[in-house]
Amino acid sequence: MSGIATRAKVAFVPLALIVIAALAMLLAGANPIVAFAALLRGGLGGPHQIGETLVQTTALLFPALAVALALRAGLFNIGAEGQLVIGGLAAGALGAAYVGPGYLAIPLVLGAGALGGGAWGALAGLIKARFGGSEVIATLMLNVIAGLLANYLAVGIFAAPGGEGAETASLPPAAWLPVLLPGTRLSVAILLALALAVVMRVGLARTVFGYALRATGSAPEAAARAGIDVHRIAFVTLTLSGAIAGLGGATIVAGVLHRFNTALSPGYGFIAIAVALVGALDPLKICVAAFAFGLLQSGSLAMQSLAHVPKDLVTIVEGLAIVALAARRYAA
Amino acid sequence: MSGALAFVTLALVKSAPLIFAALAGVLCERAGIVNIALEGALTVGAFAAVVVASATGNPSFGLAAGVAAGALLCIVLGIAATRFGIDQIVAGTGLNVLAAGIAAYGLVVVFGSPGASPEVPALGTPGEIGLVVTALACAGLAHLGLQRTVWGLRLRACGENPRAVAAAGLDPRRIRVIATAVGGGLAGLGGVFLALGELDIFSDGMTAGRGYIALAAVIFGRWTPLGATGAALGFGALSALQYSFGRTGIPSELTASLPYVAALAALAGLGGRARAPEADGVPLSNDW
Repeated sequence: MSGIATRAKVAFVPLALIVIAALAMLLAGANPIVAFAALLRGGLGGPHQIGETLVQTTALLFPALAVALALRAGLFNIGAEGQLVIGGLAAGALGAAYVGPGYLAIPLVLGAGALGGGAWGALAGLIKARFGGSEVIATLMLNVIAGLLANYLAVGIFAAPGGEGAETASLPPAAWLPVLLPGTRLSVAILLALALAVVMRVGLARTVFGYALRATGSAPEAAARAGIDVHRIAFVTLTLSGAIAGLGGATIVAGVLHRFNTALSPGYGFIAIAVALVGALDPLKICVAAFAFGLLQSGSLAMQSLAHVPKDLVTIVEGLAIVALAARRYAA
Repeated sequence: MSGALAFVTLALVKSAPLIFAALAGVLCERAGIVNIALEGALTVGAFAAVVVASATGNPSFGLAAGVAAGALLCIVLGIAATRFGIDQIVAGTGLNVLAAGIAAYGLVVVFGSPGASPEVPALGTPGEIGLVVTALACAGLAHLGLQRTVWGLRLRACGENPRAVAAAGLDPRRIRVIATAVGGGLAGLGGVFLALGELDIFSDGMTAGRGYIALAAVIFGRWTPLGATGAALGFGALSALQYSFGRTGIPSELTASLPYVAALAALAGLGGRARAPEADGVPLSNDW
């Protein structure tokens, strides 16, 4: 297939999605133009709206980079959701109990998140690398276990005293990520995510590990014959992938909610798959894709209240995007 | 005695949707399609059943609609994976997201009530018993069909070596699509059971990961209909135990997580190596 034809097809996908979304809006009895306008106004209409869009962008960017890293190695990390939750849980539990010096609070809370998510990813890596089991099924199962574990711990062990719902006590302000855009919830986490994207791009392109990772993804047998330990690559990649997603969970806890809540993710780990695919697994393009999906997330509430289109339309569009972009054209 | 009977009944009720979905998983995977979208098929099956039962006032129409919806969702996966060389895992994940979106959106559009539908005409106890019996019968039929019929042989060959099937003059793509259609219908029936048998409503997230438990049952049951059904019965019994011994101090999350932990253990090769069909997940496309 020629490059031009591929590009034409890729351009066709967003168009088709817009048409389907418009039809679904009509089905809900809404005027699509009004609804799209409300979506854009809700996502970009002012500093507050832009801040919220960037908050959603950040929340999607971490797990999307995690998914992309694994896919570049030919591994399906469907478990970014669970790794994000465990990372957030670790960050929330440590943060709520933290009593040390203030300047160490943020590094430790974020570190706990990366460690928690990394450990969750490592479990899948162990099953893949040591036992040859499917990382897809392993990460799916670990997602559900993560949700149950978070529920148990946040309702039981780490619950906020007298608090309502499944959440931990509030983090001390020393552990809060500094706000980037005053008057919004946007924290410096977005800078961390962007830096991570750059590091990932350079690491994949310029380091020995990055080369081995890509070789494992595009031609595992050739890579193994060339002396690359593909099992080790699988384990390390899934661990790193989990750590990135876990770090993302920690930034939601430290930057947005200032506590762990079992509802901290409306499925970021799954939407991240769409983000990673739309971004063609390239860290920098993924940043752009994350902004587009972040806009959908934040604009959907305005669309619901102003145009009476249920916000779940966004979920339909995200699902369709994943299916449409599932063509096997990645692995590079 | 009546306590034991009540427990067995509850265990069967909890198992039935898992059996339907697990059999769907076995059929698809033995044909070479990894069907992550079982959760989505349960969701659309349950949702379509409730919508049609409410609109027609007849739960039987709802049942048919649920089966059709589950089949349709999985046919999309089958066609995508055999005609367009699309990755099954990614497509299946997308279909799960899509199904959740359709159900949540549809709840508001159709019933005007986010979160849950109003109560609809349901199948009642006889229908529920009928579906439990159907689930068990399907397990036997799937076993015989896979092992003793020409169709079963062809389907299994598609999962092991689709090129050999093509060399024999058959179209493995077609066989895979049919397997996903039948499997999707079964998973849709599982959704119907949840919506019109157990609860009489549709509510957001009512499938609660049962599609993933079914995947666990497929692996735990070593990709065989009877093995997967056995695993589904075990997981159903576990779920019933949660209700029966709810106040023993054992956290419900612990018992709820056991099926998933068991699947991880099976993946890690505890109790013998779990081996998926050779060509499971290998995509086919038009130029193949």
